[in-house]
Amino acid sequence: MDSLSWPLIFAKMAVQFWPVWAALIVTVALSLHFRRRLGLYGKLFDSTVGILGFVIVMFWVFTAIFADLIITFDPLAQISQMKNVSPGTPVPGSDAWYLLGGDHLARDVFSRVVMGARRVLTIAPAATVIAFMVGITLGLPAGYFGGKLDTGLSFIANLVLAFPVILLFYLLVTPEIRQTGVPVVLAAILFLFPVIFVSVLLNSRYFTTPAKRNLYVGVALALGLWAYSGLAFNADPTGLWSMDPNLLNVFVSVVFVNAPTVFRIVRGIVMDLKSRDYVAAGQTRGEGPWYIMLWEILPNARGPLIVDFCLRIGYTTILLGTLGFFGLGVSPESPDWGSTIDDGRRLLSIYPHPAVVPALALMSLVLGLNLLADGLREESMRD
Amino acid sequence: MTDWDPSKPILEIENLSISFFTRTREIPAVMDFSCSVMPGEAMGLVGESGCGKSTVALAVMRDLGRTGRITGGHIRFKGRDLTTLTEEELRHIRGSEIAMIYQEPMASLNPAMRIGDQLAEVPMLHQGMARAEALKRAREIVADVRLPDPDRILRAYPHQLSGGQQQRIVIAMALMAKPALLILDEPTTALDVTVEAGIVDLVKELGEKYGTSMLFISHNLGLILDVCDRLCVMYSGEAVETGTVHEVFDQMRHPYTQALFRSIPLPGADKNASPLIAIPGNFPLPHERPPGCNFGPRCDYFRDGFCNATEVPMEAVPGHDRHATRCLRWPEIDWNAPPKIGRVTEKRPPGRLVLKMEDLKKYYEVSSGAFGGGAEKVVKANESLSFEAHENETLAIVGESGCGKSTFAKVLMGLETATSGSIMLFDENVQDTPIQARNTDTVSKLQMVFQNPFDTLNPSMTVGRQIIRALEIFQKGNSDAEREEMMLHLLDMVKLPRAFAERMPRQLSGGQKQRVGIARAFAGGAKVVVADEPVSALDVSVQAAVTDLLMDIQRENHTTLLFISHDLSIVRYLSDRVMVMYLGHVVELGTTDQVFAPPYHPYTEALLSAVPIADTRVKKRRIVLEGDIPSAMNPPPGCPFQTRCRWKRLVPDAKCETQMPPVKVLAGGHQIKCHLTDAQLAQMEPVLTRVTDSAGGTGGASGGSI
Ligand SMILES: Nc1ncnc2c1ncn2[C@@H]1O[C@H](COP(=O)(O)OP(=O)(O)O)[C@@H](O)[C@H]1O
Ligand code: SF4
Ligand code: SF4
Ligand SMILES: [Mg+2]
Repeated sequence: MDSLSWPLIFAKMAVQFWPVWAALIVTVALSLHFRRRLGLYGKLFDSTVGILGFVIVMFWVFTAIFADLIITFDPLAQISQMKNVSPGTPVPGSDAWYLLGGDHLARDVFSRVVMGARRVLTIAPAATVIAFMVGITLGLPAGYFGGKLDTGLSFIANLVLAFPVILLFYLLVTPEIRQTGVPVVLAAILFLFPVIFVSVLLNSRYFTTPAKRNLYVGVALALGLWAYSGLAFNADPTGLWSMDPNLLNVFVSVVFVNAPTVFRIVRGIVMDLKSRDYVAAGQTRGEGPWYIMLWEILPNARGPLIVDFCLRIGYTTILLGTLGFFGLGVSPESPDWGSTIDDGRRLLSIYPHPAVVPALALMSLVLGLNLLADGLREESMRD
Repeated sequence: MTDWDPSKPILEIENLSISFFTRTREIPAVMDFSCSVMPGEAMGLVGESGCGKSTVALAVMRDLGRTGRITGGHIRFKGRDLTTLTEEELRHIRGSEIAMIYQEPMASLNPAMRIGDQLAEVPMLHQGMARAEALKRAREIVADVRLPDPDRILRAYPHQLSGGQQQRIVIAMALMAKPALLILDEPTTALDVTVEAGIVDLVKELGEKYGTSMLFISHNLGLILDVCDRLCVMYSGEAVETGTVHEVFDQMRHPYTQALFRSIPLPGADKNASPLIAIPGNFPLPHERPPGCNFGPRCDYFRDGFCNATEVPMEAVPGHDRHATRCLRWPEIDWNAPPKIGRVTEKRPPGRLVLKMEDLKKYYEVSSGAFGGGAEKVVKANESLSFEAHENETLAIVGESGCGKSTFAKVLMGLETATSGSIMLFDENVQDTPIQARNTDTVSKLQMVFQNPFDTLNPSMTVGRQIIRALEIFQKGNSDAEREEMMLHLLDMVKLPRAFAERMPRQLSGGQKQRVGIARAFAGGAKVVVADEPVSALDVSVQAAVTDLLMDIQRENHTTLLFISHDLSIVRYLSDRVMVMYLGHVVELGTTDQVFAPPYHPYTEALLSAVPIADTRVKKRRIVLEGDIPSAMNPPPGCPFQTRCRWKRLVPDAKCETQMPPVKVLAGGHQIKCHLTDAQLAQMEPVLTRVTDSAGGTGGASGGSI
């Protein structure tokens, strides 16, 4: 079999991505059709930038979802003759190609990038969600009550923000520090916030009907603590929730550096919103502070928070990439984009493709997230 | 410009149509609007918010933004058609020939520039005047707008001035270029009545002095009467009636104008005997206008098949001075028929005592230093407040902003605790109990209606959910289904369709949101309701309906209503007793009749004289209040009102400046906090008098106080 020319490579890749195209077409068509009823999400489709960002991001999301259908080879399998082969090289003994070439361990770059999307798109959003819960849970009372609490929390937030991020990562993953147990303690603290957040959220709303409250809060606590035991201490008896210790370190560090910024955003919005009459109305009918913070103020802060969420996923993706690049965190086999770029770096001048492909993937995803954030911001400011 | 003949109108708007183009549709904001302003004339533009007043003003400035476009008609200024001028020619006209003053003074001022420099910039830019000369002129103008100590003002930055002073500077800035036409868009809406009265006086006087023509936009008919020669009433994008102020006020020929006058509380209106008549229904959105007459669906004289059959043109009223109306039936309507009184209600006698405040004090400690290090200062927001309120009673609390009304409400509600004194609510002392520690019963009995309709509801929760939440918190109903039912009943009570339960607040108009706020406050069967300026942000026609609703619910539930307001007209209309506050002190307390008739407290007298009244038959004695309200952080010694009081000189020994006046109790329990003697108080003359029309048509002042 011959090697493929570039147009053919692209054509073949496009065919491989068919589930993604199908899903994209369905999503965009449905959204365009119902956009007048979909609130801010629908309005996004009025902005070209927003649509572009949305399509790029969803491309990667669907790639992550359908990765198993898209890949042409096992991303970890090594085929001996294929070491560092250039894009479009046929695989001997089969009727397939390494569409984007092979890497230094003779693995298929195309399949690795596709599988890598799944990695990247689970860790980055999950870490961002946890960071948001930490930031929100602390930012709300700081902004709402002010005073000493605010001064204390803001000071800590500034302290964390003032610390050089890379240094912090190195510290958190160096064996000596790890032996002291600092990362686990941090994980124990940080992962507690989502549990607190959800329980308080439900309790403040349903405490007037105790039966309902007990049910909801009970379920939330049971699920939360179960996941918590597994994720933070690796002590889940069923083994469903667990996290590789390396990954845990990276995860905790990412949450740790993102949470203070979220904290500051939330605190600022709360300071502004707490003088609204509907907040006073809540107070005059005797609502508790947490109900007011979580149900009266937080939903109205969603605009800026959603925009920041998109930007922050992009930022986290780059951060994870950077960490992978420094060989920190995720396991060496992993196809995640950062470590792949790092692997390809050594032979960059001779065989650029193993590093360039994941780099382009990373770039396009972050670009998409930024465009999406811009589109959302632009549309939420109108009307 | 040279060929313009000064006997012709300076501004002539002809069949002007303006649309805004949004992504989804074209919004026709103004349609077929015509009016003309003669040199030296002041033209008023009135109408409810959203009727297109500001759009007309912005069109004259040719400043409609990216989405606005003039789709038809002409705007002639001194004979030149502004709609066809180039950007360059417009720049020359704007600012130097036509100047505009906006509602929010800070919008026109540069916060980072000294007042003097900002003023001097105008003639330097437009007339190439030298800096020194421009500064000299700035000083003259600042003195002209009657600001004290012009040299200090010229050196100040905008934020160092009060709202009223800022608005005077904006007016000064507009006058720097000696414009031929001045457009004022609600220039006093953000200000207090006494400050507003000062600005209005100033505008009138400057108009006469410089011969400037004016386009004065306001939703307040009283102000229009004070300032303007002619007016144009707008409804839903159209001019519906235009003419001289006196003809339109006294011989209106359009049903909307008539309805507008019947919905505002003029002196003499009474909530039981001659209640306000609200205009039914809602203002149509620009893209939902009915066929034929826009006012049709809300008009009492509507005739099907006639009013909605053809477009209604503007028609001149013969025998009047350029008086025209956009009504097909005006010749057949009996304009002198008295309004149909809907229903006369009985005044309910006040019941048992529900609320008693005694010697309540609320001080705030504030540190003056930027880093919290400075000396602690005390703001005395409320100083020895004592009063009682009974069941069925409406007690109005009146005063300008910063006088402590909101602080009082916060302390009563338990959002803040009092510094000292006692608050007895149904025999329970709640003075030291913050709201968290009050029991559900107390909390649900004492509720509040808020001022700002755009803020009173949580924008991201459905209307129904917000009412249900109140029911949940007040422990009403045993199941979700039961509460759902109670919520629907509450919507019925405030006369909103049940379908509104599913709506989001942004889908409601201001008046509808305010109704939801009322439903929410009454969810727990409130017995005492504090209404903090509940209608001041609403349009006049809606104000009447919301006020009526509050009164109805009060009658039904025997509620005690504490009505906080700065609008004396509405206070006079609906309250049984009035409490006047100044700088944290109660300066006068009495029944409505006592407070609105002499003897007055000197502050009440000034306040009454500042309120614009939309009645040509009422004559007002104008009492000018000098200066601004002092800061609560730094109150004057002695009587709080002494810095602005015109009666002070009658009190011997400078007592006003050194001693806090005692509370004087006059006949009928009427309380006044003042050093004036009974004899001096008895000399006070009424502020408002009715001018009775004698047979010959010449007005003569008689009739005494009203
Ligand atoms: N939290 C506070 N801290 C310091 N001063 C306050 C506070 N709240 C109100 N004040 C001051 O108390 C005075 C009365 O204010 P307020 O009750 O809001 O007046 P009003 O409702 O009549 O506008 C004002 O001088 C205001 O600046
Ligand atoms: S035309 Fe008919 S509906 Fe319109 S204002 Fe006149 S009477 Fe009323
Ligand atoms: S006490 Fe003196 S300063 Fe105060 S209101 Fe009376 S007369 Fe005026
Ligand atoms: Mg206030």
